[in-house]
Amino acid sequence: MTPAIPLILLGLIDAACSGFRAYAGSDARIRKQRATTRAVLRGLTVGAVLLLAPALTAALLLLTARDQARTYGTLTAGGLGYLLPLTAYATAVLLSLAAYFVLPFRAGTLAMVIGLGPLTLLRPLAIAAACLGAVLNGGGGSALLVGTIAGAAVLCVEPAVHRRWYHHVQ
Amino acid sequence: MHQLVEISDLITAVDPHSGHRLPVRRAEVIQQLRESGDERAARIVAGLPTDRDGVLDPHAVDRLLISVHTELQRLSEELRIGERLVHLLGPLFTAIRETTGQPGPYRLVDVGCGLGYLVRWLATTNALGADVELVGVDLDAALVGEADRLAEAEGLNCRFVRGNAFGLREAATVYVSTGVLHHFRGPALAEFFQAQAASPAHAFCHFDIAATRLAPVGAWVFHRARMRNPLGRHDGVVSARRAHSDETLLRAAAVPGIRALLYEPRGAVNPFCTTLRPVIGVRPQLEAPLRRALGRDARRIVGPEHLAEATR
Repeated sequence: MTPAIPLILLGLIDAACSGFRAYAGSDARIRKQRATTRAVLRGLTVGAVLLLAPALTAALLLLTARDQARTYGTLTAGGLGYLLPLTAYATAVLLSLAAYFVLPFRAGTLAMVIGLGPLTLLRPLAIAAACLGAVLNGGGGSALLVGTIAGAAVLCVEPAVHRRWYHHVQ
Repeated sequence: MHQLVEISDLITAVDPHSGHRLPVRRAEVIQQLRESGDERAARIVAGLPTDRDGVLDPHAVDRLLISVHTELQRLSEELRIGERLVHLLGPLFTAIRETTGQPGPYRLVDVGCGLGYLVRWLATTNALGADVELVGVDLDAALVGEADRLAEAEGLNCRFVRGNAFGLREAATVYVSTGVLHHFRGPALAEFFQAQAASPAHAFCHFDIAATRLAPVGAWVFHRARMRNPLGRHDGVVSARRAHSDETLLRAAAVPGIRALLYEPRGAVNPFCTTLRPVIGVRPQLEAPLRRALGRDARRIVGPEHLAEATR
């Protein structure tokens, strides 16, 4: 099984959330569903562009490899190792989000205080854990390279969207 | 021990009589922050623009405060402060309607409203009913101006006034606030409640950060994760450290003519679920109807007798 598709999906979902975070706190209106949707789409677009970097790196590694089947196997193993910590992280985020939106305000506060707030701060750690997972699962240097570029790409989405569209907005 | 100071309290000054803005010298603010042992805050202020005389640029300060309050609103949105308030204010207005027997209109006045998030949210949701007029009051002209602009942009039925909330021409039925109480230190806290007791208001309901050991850590995590402005991050954590204890609030709010109550006191609730909790003051005849209107949630309310039980 190739881990590429779930990894790309996770990356794009994260990019959409990054777009929201880049916008949140810059608009004091009460009704802002349309602006929120626009921010999510901006995050998605920037994320899709930035995620081309790890995709191209992986493609380049494959194309220049002497033994393409072996490199593909190594990258696949690394990708699976990369996916595991990210899946755990994404599950925690999704559960917190579900609790936040579905449960009454006290439980919603709980989901925010012990879930969504700290999890935002832990994103770089989740990426680091994913890189470690890629190496430990036999991905070697090539998977670590692709994983590091992918991690940097998703971490760059929020500052890029904020700087481009929301830096001077109040 | 050093005194905890918020930067936003120091970088603007208003003449209490005329309401005119006063010049603030950056060097004096920096010195005050250094004397309080807060070198980081001093560095933040050192980065603010001044004129040739070293007076902080009032327009830059206004823009900064509006930006910080806009970020702060995000925290209120995420922590669903509006719902938390309506959970109490709904039953409170029910009790007032039942006790007074008047058809209204009633008036809710948000003291220190900032950008008026609560008032605008209430106007958008109409959560308290059409018979409740919504007014936000703040001493800061820039924040009030921005609150007005935002309300107008969304066509909301509420208004904002710059000045003293207790000096309004039309009396408030209920005074509310969020995150304001910790700004009142020493005797000023009791004076704040006394002013409301002396007014024709039926009740007050002031939410502030629950003073728990977790509060400063939680505030750090949250402001780090959700706010970009260094001033907002700094003041957010200092606010949590300055938060008044349940005991301080109940004692200060126990003024003649008012029955002081605290909702969700420390020890009775999960601190992760209750980041802000209110001190409530009602005219004595309102307490029983309020408890009735709250239903099962009335068990979360305690009065000053709770202090005696807690110390026994």
